[in-house]
Amino acid sequence: MKPILQVRNLTKRYGKGCPDCLERTGPPHATNQCPRCRSVLACRAVDFALYPGEVLGIVGESGSGKSTVVRLLHFDFEPTAGDFFLRLNGNGAAPIDPAQNLFALSAFQRRQIRNERMGIVYQSARMGLRMKVSAGGNIAERLLMAGGRHVGRMRDRATELLAQTEVPVQRVDELPRTFSGGMQQRVQIAKALSTRPALLLLDEVTTGLDVSVQARVLDLIRSLQQELGVATIVVSHDLGVIRLLTSRTVVMRHGCIVEEGLSDQILEDPQHPYTQLLVNSTL
Amino acid sequence: MTQPGPLRAGTPPADWRSSLPPADGRYSYAFLDEGAKREIRRRMLKAVAIPGCQVPFGSREMPIARGWGTGGLQLTLALIGPEDMLKVIDQGADDSVNAVNIKKFVTRVTGVAVTTDTRAATLIQTRHRIPEEPLRPHQVLIFQVPIPEPLRLVEPSERETRRMHAEADYSRMWLYLYEDIVKFNEITVGARYPVMVNRRHLMDPSPIPRWDVAKLNQAEALCLFCAGREKRIYAVPPHTDVQPLSFEDFVFRVEAFGGRRCGRCGSTGTYLDEVIDDATGGRTYSCSDTAFCEKARRHHLAPGNHPPEEGAA
Repeated sequence: MKPILQVRNLTKRYGKGCPDCLERTGPPHATNQCPRCRSVLACRAVDFALYPGEVLGIVGESGSGKSTVVRLLHFDFEPTAGDFFLRLNGNGAAPIDPAQNLFALSAFQRRQIRNERMGIVYQSARMGLRMKVSAGGNIAERLLMAGGRHVGRMRDRATELLAQTEVPVQRVDELPRTFSGGMQQRVQIAKALSTRPALLLLDEVTTGLDVSVQARVLDLIRSLQQELGVATIVVSHDLGVIRLLTSRTVVMRHGCIVEEGLSDQILEDPQHPYTQLLVNSTL
Repeated sequence: MTQPGPLRAGTPPADWRSSLPPADGRYSYAFLDEGAKREIRRRMLKAVAIPGCQVPFGSREMPIARGWGTGGLQLTLALIGPEDMLKVIDQGADDSVNAVNIKKFVTRVTGVAVTTDTRAATLIQTRHRIPEEPLRPHQVLIFQVPIPEPLRLVEPSERETRRMHAEADYSRMWLYLYEDIVKFNEITVGARYPVMVNRRHLMDPSPIPRWDVAKLNQAEALCLFCAGREKRIYAVPPHTDVQPLSFEDFVFRVEAFGGRRCGRCGSTGTYLDEVIDDATGGRTYSCSDTAFCEKARRHHLAPGNHPPEEGAA
């Protein structure tokens, strides 16, 4: 089976950089900041692949570069180096050349791919939603970007998605800032799924929610993921989330992938000392 | 269109108002110096080449305040020549303060003739209206624009709006209209209705009523827009598509006057102003385009008809 997503040598550096950066940072040096030039390597030489219908977990401590990776894949900002390939078919969107490095495309093309093929859910609903626009409008924005020009139909689709994500549908025209945290996350999920994406990126979706709401949101994500079969990348520092959702996991530390394998294997039999520490330190 | 005047430096006299003769050698013809006119003309050419795209220019200090038509005035002065016939309107009226002052100034610095007759004019500078009589190919319509950026409503950052124009990313504007419909069950934008020019650029048609927006589509005359304070020129060349943003189920509609007619000339097919009678408190309606209204009265026209062309062979 061919991967639908391939990332090679993904690197993001903040700062000018110097020839020593790569040698003086990373797990062996227990830092991602170059001691010489003070540049920060948020992620460095990250390689991984994602297969159709698969759920991949990215786990690591705060500052390990896991969010940077998914946000680079979402074209939120430019990488310093790296290649990104997508092999996606269907959903009626323009085809993507599997040999085309997407980071080399124009901003216009990247925006189009992002809107038609990807959905993202951020940790903070403020990043993913417009708080001054109704919940339905937030979902409609992606449909409008994709060329939707029928208000009634777009609102119906928004209502349908809100029902799917268990948000009370009568609140479709209300502002998300009047919603609870769990509901805001659900609206974000509805927005992410509105254009039937082939790739779903979840960036710490349940962090900051209380435990019972976390369980319901995770349950929802799992059932939607199984129903739609959308390939998903889950970023979390919470091993419970990784255990519940993912089939394969990569462990990141100081901007590098230190271990990669099946989720069960990683959680039951961690090889890398850092992963062992992570697994042992759960409450 | 302009005769290049002599470009000589001179100290303006203390009482410049009374001693400012047209083209006497101390001032460049049409107030602006030749370099300024040349720059503005080149910016206009670029604007015409990319319909609806805002072109920055070095807006000059004018002897009227920013926001009083300095943009339109600079275009007028850069275009005008001795054989031109000028008409200036302010919300349809030829005789309001803003229009009268601009006319006086242009006449003083160029000596061109002014008219109120839309058909006779070659240059028409306008604030917030398009004349009722259809414009013709030899005419140029110059709009005074307060805010040239249609996306300013949804995005305060200039950098971001430029990116949005470059990528033709107008979903935020559409979202604004969607939210309007969700809240009020109709699009409540009155003036400054956003339009798509040449199927590429979103453009602010200046605060003309929706009634006039349709007149921009495939117009015969060249339409030039200029914001003096914001330092932007843009244009709709003749025979260009200008489509107001519109949903399939909520289409663009112009103002409806419910069959009312002008109380002075009796016309029905014109944009009407509501006039409240101070004495009785009653409401009457009259044409916003005063020159058209006057002409219709002179010809005692049947309601809804357009007046015949005056002075035509």
